[in-house]
Amino acid sequence: MLDRLGTSLKDALKKLAGKTVVDRAAVDELVKDLQRALIQADVNVKLVMALSQAIKTRSLEEEPPKGMSVREHVLRIVYQELVRLMGPTGEVKLGPQVILMAGLQGSGKTTTTAKIARYFQRKGLRVAVICGDTFRPGAYEQLSTLCSRIHVPCFGDPTDKDARKMVREGLKVHTGTEVVIIDTQGRHALEADLIQEIIDINTLSNATHRWLVIDAALGQQASEQARRFHEAIDIDGVIITKMDGTAKGGGALSAVAETKSGIVFIGSGETIEDLERFDPDGFISRLLGMGDLRALVERAEESISEGEIDVNAMMRGKFTLRDMYKQLEAVNRMGPLKQIMSMLPMGNLELPGEAYDMTSAKMAKYRIIMDSMTAAELDEPSLLSSSRVQRIAIGAGATPDEVRELLKYYKTMKRALKGVRGGQGKFNMQRMMKRFGGM
Amino acid sequence: MGMFEGLRSRLQKIQGRLEENIETASAGTGPVSLPPGAAPTDKSPGMMDRVKVLVTDREFFISGDDISDPLFELEMVLLESDVALPVTEEIISLVRQNLTGQRRKIGESVDEIVVSALHDALIQVLGDGFDLPAYIRGHDRPVKILFTGVNGTGKTTTVAKIASFLKKNGFSVVIGAGDTFRAGAIEQIDEHARRLGIKIIQHQHGADPSAVLFDAVQYASAHNVDVVLADTAGRFHNRANLMNQLDKIRRVMKPDLIVYVDEAVAGNDAVVRAHEFEKSVGADAVILTKADMDSRGGAAISIAHTIGKPLMFLGVGQGYDDIIPFEPATVIGELLGGSIDDA
Repeated sequence: MLDRLGTSLKDALKKLAGKTVVDRAAVDELVKDLQRALIQADVNVKLVMALSQAIKTRSLEEEPPKGMSVREHVLRIVYQELVRLMGPTGEVKLGPQVILMAGLQGSGKTTTTAKIARYFQRKGLRVAVICGDTFRPGAYEQLSTLCSRIHVPCFGDPTDKDARKMVREGLKVHTGTEVVIIDTQGRHALEADLIQEIIDINTLSNATHRWLVIDAALGQQASEQARRFHEAIDIDGVIITKMDGTAKGGGALSAVAETKSGIVFIGSGETIEDLERFDPDGFISRLLGMGDLRALVERAEESISEGEIDVNAMMRGKFTLRDMYKQLEAVNRMGPLKQIMSMLPMGNLELPGEAYDMTSAKMAKYRIIMDSMTAAELDEPSLLSSSRVQRIAIGAGATPDEVRELLKYYKTMKRALKGVRGGQGKFNMQRMMKRFGGM
Repeated sequence: MGMFEGLRSRLQKIQGRLEENIETASAGTGPVSLPPGAAPTDKSPGMMDRVKVLVTDREFFISGDDISDPLFELEMVLLESDVALPVTEEIISLVRQNLTGQRRKIGESVDEIVVSALHDALIQVLGDGFDLPAYIRGHDRPVKILFTGVNGTGKTTTVAKIASFLKKNGFSVVIGAGDTFRAGAIEQIDEHARRLGIKIIQHQHGADPSAVLFDAVQYASAHNVDVVLADTAGRFHNRANLMNQLDKIRRVMKPDLIVYVDEAVAGNDAVVRAHEFEKSVGADAVILTKADMDSRGGAAISIAHTIGKPLMFLGVGQGYDDIIPFEPATVIGELLGGSIDDA
């Protein structure tokens, strides 16, 4: 469903290619696809409408700069408008500060508090946390367990119900600590008592930052909630959590627009290390379900350096295990294979989804197996006789079957790429799909 | 029901717009079919003409153009209420289908046509409710209920609320602390159970959840307990190993009911994950939490439509009693009928 969206967006962009004047119909179609993609990503409907209007007007009214094709011109406008929608990246200073965490119930404040503590700790700062959630059973146990794993002091008392007192005392206990993070109870905008509580905590803690934690799956409600939180305690940063699911995080953008702040961090997993600084380009590509738009704007061919993946050699049909090794390495560094492929100038080629469905564990295993191969084997996979397979398996601590599975995957990839080169149209693609399906 | 208030008042505005457009369109069709000035001066019109006048005066077709504007507005309202895009599109097409090509009959008000079109579309997506006490009475004890869902939707709190609800309805309950992963989860459910005076079966942090829940079922069988409520750790549907773990839990404890828990404020992803959970471990009913945060409740419509399973309860607050059985017919009636003032 969502992949189809990305595709139709790409199709719409393709229609613009080769045109010398901006075609109103093509722009309309592009804008419509963009709207669909953004609405499905939970961006506020009104924001989406404003954005698409801006893109439409600019595309039709602004002259493309000299030497820039219509497609590049429109793409650039789309990109610029999306970046504007993202807001600036939230600032993180590495110095003494008090951070107040705010957010709805179940948005992931406690987990994120521990992750942020870890972030500052790794930057070499002295960190402490205060458990200001005196309501939810187990909240203190959760936070103190997470903190003890990283040896960060955690102040709190599960038997005391006074959150204001907890924060006051916690700040006293932690004086001299560089970074103090205050976790709070989940609350929503309609709970007047709780909103008053966080206003009080903000005042008495004199917090440097007030970060709003937003679940990536939060829908249209994000705007309203963010607006109320902003009114109460002047939010100056947004954290998106649970980005390891399939949600696109568009609600966080609505929150950014309401609070006129920026996204600070992105939480993307259940371990304490799963916290990333915000990267607008990666986020846009996730929102739209298509490859890195900026890379497209800056011409994909140039953005991937020759050393990493020899696209041309691959297109010629020469695809060795070494290429695949590089590919897997690149995947590790650059994110999912799918995104890399979508950045490659392969026209309308769509590799079947199964080709990308490799678990990270399997990918690691494949790399280990390939590490046990000789240079000659990597360049000329046909050398791999069963005795060589046996040797590789022993060297890699794998079974010969696993080595053969890797070879099968390699062959499938190779065939797929050959199919691209041959470009024998639909028939060829269908055959390829079948082969992938059989894996 | 606070949850749907926002959607309701806006739906009613759209309803008005639809009616207006249809009225205008019908005003244009009626008498105009007679050529102006023809009737009085000419000889009495022929038989066929008279029939035509009779028909066009009292019946007319609603064409797609007459309602495209209000339908676009309806689409925006649904989207802004978090009804997922594919579901919104389907509702719009249902309403359009129900309205266009329809003849307005003698004595039938435009209002009725519009309301019934919207009503039919919503009934179709919301389906029936689910009466939990009746289900328990009708099945062998212990009735085993497994709670699933992604992280942070409120499974643990919901388990506590349902435990309290069932206890009030005269059933005996045991809770299985199946979230052995999240720090503080066992302490959380244990504290709830203590406050409610309900037996809880728990193992250590990091234990196999299947084993915990198996023990809970064993306990229930041995002590003639009516209901086993099995809490689980939140997990994302795109994590194969965690979904496999859930599948193992299902095989081991053999639940009678699998209840999928999600939050009313979730956006388009609600559809994706509901579908994935339904596909991999199944779901018999849905509970939506945090309904007090939102006055729109589009997620209810999205999820119910996507997996075609009844909505059982709405969670509407942080207290144990903040849970209400969901009755689709009542909700739809409230959405479409009545005035906005008493909302």
